[in-house]
Order: sequence, then C-alpha cells, then structure tokens
Amino acid sequence: MSRAAQGLRAWLLQRITAVYLAVYIVGTLLYLLTRSAVDYSIWHNWLASPLMGIATTVFTLALLLHVWVGIRDVLIDYVQLVSLRLLFMVVTALILLGSLLWVIRALTITAMQGEI
Amino acid sequence: MDRKTPAPRFLNLLKIKLPPGGIASIAHRVSGVLMFLGIPLVAWLFARSLENEAAYLEVVGLMKSPPALMVSILLIWSLSHHLLAGIRHLLLDVEIGIEKAQARASAWLVNIGALLLTAIYLTRIL
Repeated sequence: MSRAAQGLRAWLLQRITAVYLAVYIVGTLLYLLTRSAVDYSIWHNWLASPLMGIATTVFTLALLLHVWVGIRDVLIDYVQLVSLRLLFMVVTALILLGSLLWVIRALTITAMQGEI
Repeated sequence: MDRKTPAPRFLNLLKIKLPPGGIASIAHRVSGVLMFLGIPLVAWLFARSLENEAAYLEVVGLMKSPPALMVSILLIWSLSHHLLAGIRHLLLDVEIGIEKAQARASAWLVNIGALLLTAIYLTRIL
C-alpha cells in the first residue's frame, strides 16, 4: 500500500471507529441514566448478556484503533525527536494493549459466569 | 519563500486570540489525550467492578472519593467536548456547515455545550 493510501486508511479508520464509539457511549449512558438504581447483579447480568458482551468487546477494539491513530498524530506533531517519539509510541501501544486485554478478560469471565 | 513580514518568533500564548474553531480544535486534542491517560484507570475500575459484589461496592465507594470526583469531572468534560467536537468534525467532513459563519457558530456550540454538560454532571454529583 502506498504512503498516501496508508494516510487515507488511518483517516477513514478514525471516522468509522468514531461513529461506533459515539453510538455505544450515548446508548449505554442513556440506558444507565434512565434506570433508577443499578446494583451489582443488574450490572453483572447486563454485561454477561451476549449483546452487551459483543458490543463492549467491539467497543474496546474500536477504542484501541481510534486512540492509536489520534495519539500517533499528536506525537508526530509535537515530538520532533524520532527516538523519543518511538519510545512514546511503544509506551502508548503497551498501555492500550494491556488495558484492552484486561477488559476483555473481565468480559469473558463475566460471560462465562452467566446470569447470577 | 519570500515574506514581507517575518514570521512571529516570540509567541505569547496569553496574547494570541484563538477563534472559536481554534479553541474547539486544540481542546479536541487535549480532551483526547486526557481520556487516553484515563484508560488504564477506567479499565481497571471496570474489570474490578465485575469481579464480585464486594469489589463492585468498593469501586462505587472509590468513585465517590474527592480525588476520583475531580478526575471524573475532567474526564466528563473531555468526553463531552471530544464527542461534540467529533460530531462537528464528521459533519464538516461531509460538507455540512462549512460556511464561515456556520462553522464559527457550531464551534461555539461545541465549546459551550461541553461546559454545559460538565455543569449538569456537577449538579448531579454535588
């Protein structure tokens, strides 16, 4: 893929993930805010459901891609020293991957527990 | 490139008057970076809250502590601004509201709207 096409791909990825992230965040916030009270079993069973499990897993993946493109842009603009920029990029990737795996692990355990 | 007037070298950040679109743009970046920094914390709280009832209550209690509330105010502003500025950006991409007056108005809407949403959140937690 040419360099220009790579740029277009990142641009498009940023926008497609943005739409999904926005719909998920507004949707889940409205759902949670319209409930009078949320306790542990409601919270757990909500995320144990296949729909929310899948939607939230896709959310974490979309978020990882979205943040990666965004932080990369910021680092390219403000960190001129290439070695330092590379270091920040590695740290960013590690933070994102670690957080993603941690959330997916929690979602998997929750799904396997089923309704409680 | 020839320039009649030299490029400004001593930028006084306090004296530069950014147009509303400029404020929306830089705040979009700042809010994105702030939320990125909050990701490990939110991921950990999320995973912990699902472990069991005691852990869930611990997370709920933790989120009501003053330092957590301060962080949450910052993150709520960030989310509000990033979301509104993002919607504005997507609309501009498909050439909706690209006239100067409209773009200025929507930038104001984003900047003020984010503060308004943060204020609503404040009234809920205080």
